[in-house]
Amino acid sequence: MEIRGVFIQDTFAEAFGMRAARLIITARTLKWAREAALKLTGFATSVIACKCEAGIERELAPAETPDARPGVSVLFFTMDMDSLGKRLTERIGQTVLTCPTASCFDGLPAAVDRLPAGRALRVFGDKLQISKIVGGQRYWRIPVMEGECLVQESFGVQKKGVGGGNFLVLAASADAGLAAAEAAVDAIEGMPGVILPFPGGVVRSGSKVGARNYKGMIASTNDAYCPTVRPRTKTELPDGVNAVLEVVLDGLDAPTINRAMRAGIEAACRPGVRAIGAGNYGGKLGPYHFHLRQVMADGDV
Amino acid sequence: MSSDVIRLTLRSSIDQPVEIDGLTPDRTAMLSEAEISTLPVFIGSRRAALGDFFVVDGERSNRLHIDGDLRNVSGLGAAMTSGELLVHGSVGGRVGAGMTGGSIEIDGDAGDDAGLGISGGALRIRGDAGDRLGAAPAGAAKGMTGGEIAVSGSAGTEVAARARRGLVAVGGDVGADAARAIIAGTLVVFGRIGTDPGRGSKRGSIVALGEIEIPSTYEYACTYQPTYVRMLLTYLSRRYGMTAEAATLDGPYARYCGDAGHPGKGEILAYTPANR
Repeated sequence: MEIRGVFIQDTFAEAFGMRAARLIITARTLKWAREAALKLTGFATSVIACKCEAGIERELAPAETPDARPGVSVLFFTMDMDSLGKRLTERIGQTVLTCPTASCFDGLPAAVDRLPAGRALRVFGDKLQISKIVGGQRYWRIPVMEGECLVQESFGVQKKGVGGGNFLVLAASADAGLAAAEAAVDAIEGMPGVILPFPGGVVRSGSKVGARNYKGMIASTNDAYCPTVRPRTKTELPDGVNAVLEVVLDGLDAPTINRAMRAGIEAACRPGVRAIGAGNYGGKLGPYHFHLRQVMADGDV
Repeated sequence: MSSDVIRLTLRSSIDQPVEIDGLTPDRTAMLSEAEISTLPVFIGSRRAALGDFFVVDGERSNRLHIDGDLRNVSGLGAAMTSGELLVHGSVGGRVGAGMTGGSIEIDGDAGDDAGLGISGGALRIRGDAGDRLGAAPAGAAKGMTGGEIAVSGSAGTEVAARARRGLVAVGGDVGADAARAIIAGTLVVFGRIGTDPGRGSKRGSIVALGEIEIPSTYEYACTYQPTYVRMLLTYLSRRYGMTAEAATLDGPYARYCGDAGHPGKGEILAYTPANR
């Protein structure tokens, strides 16, 4: 299969089940909502070292938020419920609670499974906090030096979240690869239910499981796709490829990842790109397999 | 066979007090048209049948719509647990009293004791309400313990008295003793609030968008912009179509803590525009 002269490899992206939450962060202005969201999603690229993965889903107009203020929607992923609750409490506590005028609401109100992250934060109020129920949902008003911080008590959990959707841009040059990856990110950003947790949505240091030469390493460089060591390793690089970038996607479900991969790959097929590949572990680790040719043929997973 | 909606139409005007307790959508959901027509109605101590007063059209539905002026009918929707009750017209006392779930909408006025002691569900009154809206039944320690009451017009005295939880919103004015001895919950009043609001309150909130005389037993804390009020007013606008002036969303609001000695965890949030 080729798209505008770019070869689509016959391979698949291997992804994992994750627990996901959606946070609605609002503030007096979009600037402050973004400030809180950027801090909350900072250092959240990979569960390997960050314990969670998070990113901004999109900006929200006042008509879309519970308090009719500008807001930002954030998606948050971990490997299990327990860690999701802990990370949410830590991060909301350190980034929204501290941010001037910011509030935090649940963005998955229909979810049956819920985590009481806001309830855990209430104790910061030292028994001066106030509980309020509006529309069947409990909120906490926590007194702070500025006035009050408003936080919803519980946050819905999507148990069918998917992390680690990906595709590789195999390019003739680093510049061509970066331009293609940027085009892919532009195409995916703003799509509902998906985030790209890495810097600018792009990863240059794709990894393999473990390491051949260092014991105890959880992950090490994906040398099969590193051009500088092509003669020294069992390379997967086609001729003419001198740079590879990876776009990693986390989504609320598999169909969302499928749609986003299709949009991203379509945009990435541009001059200077030799092929589109994907990262997998032979299909033994992750239950979700996104076959590139099936994805681009508009098929489901 | 079940109907989408059960419609009750008044045969002729009711000019004497009538009690219709137990006419709830959760109950009609299990009854045939004939069974609904034989539900008991009390005129004083005299027993009659619902079909004597209404033409019943439909059966086995948890959506119950009633047309007519029912000012002399009390107890409509009392103890309702689920479903939808819609009345095109005004109703008498105790509408929705003790309801635990479902929704009641009155496209008219309601008498005294509307939503008395409710613990869940939503009671929407598009006209005015009488005294003791959402308050405690006689002799009870607690008023409403949950649910929401939204009144577009004004309400009488002792609104939300002894409320333990829940939300009461009044688009117009309320009378004296609003939120008296409130234990928790929230009363929002868009208009003027009568004398002695929040007297003896333990916790709970009064949000005053209009005029209010702050009792001397409440202590001023600060003037600020509570996001909670903004969210609450946004919710009332979206859920019930009760839209306050745009300026009230951000305030500022003066916060008063009280009632002194009871033990003062309650609050009055009074909208305080610069020109007031």
